[in-house]
Amino acid sequence: MATIDKATIKRLAKLCRIACSEEQEDALLHDMQKIIGYVEQLSEINTDAIVPCNYVASTLSQTPFRADVPGQTLSRDEFLKNAPAHIGGMIRVPPVLRQE
Amino acid sequence: MTDIHTLTALQVHNAFKQGKLSASEIVAASLARITQHDPKIKAFLRVFTERAGKNARMLDEKRASGAPLGKLAGIPIALKDNINLKGEITTCGSKILEHFQAPFNATASRLLEQEDAIIIGKTNCDEFAMGSSTEHSAFQKTSNPWNLSCTPGGSSGGSAAAVAARLCPLTLGSDTGGSIRQPASLCGIVGFKPTYGRVSRYGLVAFGSSLDQIGPLAATVEDIAMVMEVLGRHCEHDSTSLPKGPDDLLSKLNAPIKGMKIGVPWEFLENLQPELLRSFQASLDMYKDLGATLVPVDLSCLKYAIAVYYIIATAEASTNLSRFDGIRYGLRSKRATTLDEIYDYSRQEGFGDEVKRRIMLGTFVLSAGYQEAYYRKAQKVRAHIIQKYNEAFSHCAVIATPTSPFPAFQIGSITDPLEMYLADIYTIGNNLAGIPGISIPSGFTQDMKPIGLQLSAPELSEGLLLQAAHALQQVTSYHTAIPKEFL
Repeated sequence: MATIDKATIKRLAKLCRIACSEEQEDALLHDMQKIIGYVEQLSEINTDAIVPCNYVASTLSQTPFRADVPGQTLSRDEFLKNAPAHIGGMIRVPPVLRQE
Repeated sequence: MTDIHTLTALQVHNAFKQGKLSASEIVAASLARITQHDPKIKAFLRVFTERAGKNARMLDEKRASGAPLGKLAGIPIALKDNINLKGEITTCGSKILEHFQAPFNATASRLLEQEDAIIIGKTNCDEFAMGSSTEHSAFQKTSNPWNLSCTPGGSSGGSAAAVAARLCPLTLGSDTGGSIRQPASLCGIVGFKPTYGRVSRYGLVAFGSSLDQIGPLAATVEDIAMVMEVLGRHCEHDSTSLPKGPDDLLSKLNAPIKGMKIGVPWEFLENLQPELLRSFQASLDMYKDLGATLVPVDLSCLKYAIAVYYIIATAEASTNLSRFDGIRYGLRSKRATTLDEIYDYSRQEGFGDEVKRRIMLGTFVLSAGYQEAYYRKAQKVRAHIIQKYNEAFSHCAVIATPTSPFPAFQIGSITDPLEMYLADIYTIGNNLAGIPGISIPSGFTQDMKPIGLQLSAPELSEGLLLQAAHALQQVTSYHTAIPKEFL
């Protein structure tokens, strides 16, 4: 049984890279506690002897591999059309290293 | 012809092939319906007036030239806005993709156009297909054509409402936990989720990759069969894409269902509302009259389906949605001055509450110390559920349940996320097991809200499932009803 508190939410927000206001954290705390409380019901089932399902049903064993040949996907220009900022054919981001 | 909108997709296609209607007339009629009626329901996010008109003219020229016509020639189709159409915006109902222009076609879109369907627009949905009411779209709330103060269900609510209001005869949606079948049920139309892997997911923006499946919505099972012959093709861009599906779904639709065994999981239906239970029983009686046999099956394990789903789907979503980082495409926060702030603020501003909730939840169930207790546990219960389905299908050909535990509900009436999740109680099992499911109109409540019947079949049994669904449509007329404001 997991305890979810404000510190959990702050830690998760950091892991998810989503900035949250105090109010948003409170709302998330309330909802998460409730949802996690609900999914706890799974502990009722004894699953010791069950092999976990990593792939859906048996259909995946029937999917063929494609030939391993190189091909063109997106051109640089097409890709950059959706980039929020770019310069000289490259994505532009703020400086990662700064002088102290 | 002034009543093109009352035709099914198959009828439209035949009228076009026989020269009774031109593609330009068909498309113009559909666009006129959208102009007239969509302001009432807000099913469409974008309408491709020019593109569709141009494609229709080209198709008319093709017909005039005597060139062979595609299997969907002349049919106007709309796509849920999480399916890419090259050159057009794909928002997924999210601010984070508000201006994202699809650089390539989804395989489903490509196949439709290859077979001469005419894509007329993109339909509204819950943000990243997360929701059961279409209220979580960042752009607009869609109304149910049968009751404008109600939601159409979701997440493919725009696609369902567009067909129900007869704005176009056919749409595509995506179904991760019921997102095609539940809105189809609430809007009184047919919605089909194929076997996992049947329709390529290439170009469908990923939500829960082990659950997602594209599928069609239409008024009749015939229309579903027709479009599935086209969509069910192998695609080398999706490693989970199955080998080519059957080509003869439509021609085999009329196979008699006499002697077919229909499984009914009675314990699982214990708390069903009396009005919905009566309708469900009436459908079963009709199947008995058609010569089917009812057999009880045990799927009581499905009471755990929602808990399993909200662990697995959110875990997969948290991983899939990590690609929205404000760097390469999508919204980048104007407040951000450092790289870290780009991630943190872009995701804060770009995602809505439900999406954030699910990313958080998914991150939690995958995080150190909790993975075994939640994610691993859910995978085990998922395996258990699949096993129980296999046992059930050893006694019957298809399984019948209601599609939704309640009919269309008022916009704004469900504010508790957990209560909303329960809307998918009957549909989620199919996604967990990867099996096909279909919702067909099976009645109305006293206050004229549609009711849907869900049929499920073992994986790869689409043909059988469509036969069973079609048989009921041959002895009922619920699917021909059009809401009175949209006649």
